[in-house]
Amino acid sequence: MKSRNLPLNKRGFNFEMIMWIFTRLSALAMYTLLLIGFIGALLMGAREQMNFADVMRWAFMPNPSHVINTNIPDIAPWTALFWQLVASALLLVATAHGVHGLVVIADDYIVTSNGRKIVRLISMLMMASTSLIGLYILWTF
Amino acid sequence: MNVTLKVFRYNPDVDKKWHYDTFNIEAQPTDRVLDLLEYVKGYLDGTLTFRRSCAHGVCGSDAMRINGKNSLACKTLVRDLGEKITVDPILGLPVKKDLIVDMEPFFDNYKKVLPWFINDSPLPADGKERLQSPEQRERFDDSTKCILCACCTTSCPSFWASDDYLGPAALVAAHRFIFDSRDEAAAERIEIIAETHGLARCHTAFNCTMACPRDIQVTKAIGELKMLTITGKLE
Ligand code: SF4
Ligand code: SF4
Ligand code: FES
Repeated sequence: MKSRNLPLNKRGFNFEMIMWIFTRLSALAMYTLLLIGFIGALLMGAREQMNFADVMRWAFMPNPSHVINTNIPDIAPWTALFWQLVASALLLVATAHGVHGLVVIADDYIVTSNGRKIVRLISMLMMASTSLIGLYILWTF
Repeated sequence: MNVTLKVFRYNPDVDKKWHYDTFNIEAQPTDRVLDLLEYVKGYLDGTLTFRRSCAHGVCGSDAMRINGKNSLACKTLVRDLGEKITVDPILGLPVKKDLIVDMEPFFDNYKKVLPWFINDSPLPADGKERLQSPEQRERFDDSTKCILCACCTTSCPSFWASDDYLGPAALVAAHRFIFDSRDEAAAERIEIIAETHGLARCHTAFNCTMACPRDIQVTKAIGELKMLTITGKLE
């Protein structure tokens, strides 16, 4: 009997499906990165001052200019390259994930194929500019 | 028991806008909504228009929105609904008259997935059947139960947004053939359903699964198709 597997180029593995998978995986990646920020804060002595805002800062914006507001005893470790990378990864993943979410919602309302192309183009520009501004802030301040 | 039946009415020849007609009917709790509609048509208002054929949940022609939920009128009992029953046409397809909608867009989408058996290789040596093990048959058993009633597709928010979206019923049909070990056109079909208006438009809202009068695990079937685009595994 013939093999019942479809080779990669015959699986309908196109841009739409790649973006669909990306959205799932990027959500998981975000959870991982958030946990890294959160656990990092705990390791660096954040046990006393936990409140929602602080947890959000550690998890979503693990860089010195935000962490300084959370009464963490020593913010020096937060300036390390590692945290810059974590913050950048989170920024890039979250922006792409969020923008793709918007595209999916827009697809409910804009249903012509040209309209959808325009929405995709605008979204990519939005994604690129947001990411660039974010990276600029993370790496220069 | 006395039932107040509110029915969506629209006659394109006279009405500018749709309205509800209300009927008070003596019904048994074990009556079906279809019985009520038949009663109205037979004794109260012969102009009431709706589709039905088998009256036993097999033909799929009497899908309608009963108290807000897509169901078959012939499988919905009065006792499960109470004394107030509202019947509307299914959503997302143009209403032609009263409870009858234009099913063409639905069937157009269905046809797109090549819903027929495709196998061009020569018959087995004995010239008889293409054999299949019970496990291979089991693989697509659930999706063979579909009666094309459109309850699922017309409950799907992605289909309401655009009837270009293939919709759950068409995807169930694709599932039925793609996972059939005797069929050879899986690659063709998966290419069709993975395009812009296909698989990726399903947001896993589960409306379709809740609506299906045949209890087909529709969202699960769609999930298996999504998985197939990743793994390529047909077994
Ligand atoms: S699970 Fe997918 S196909 Fe089913 S109703 Fe939701 S969006 Fe539609
Ligand atoms: S999958 Fe279920 S709800 Fe959808 S058309 Fe088939 S029988 Fe009807
Ligand atoms: S009349 Fe055939 S399914 Fe209800």
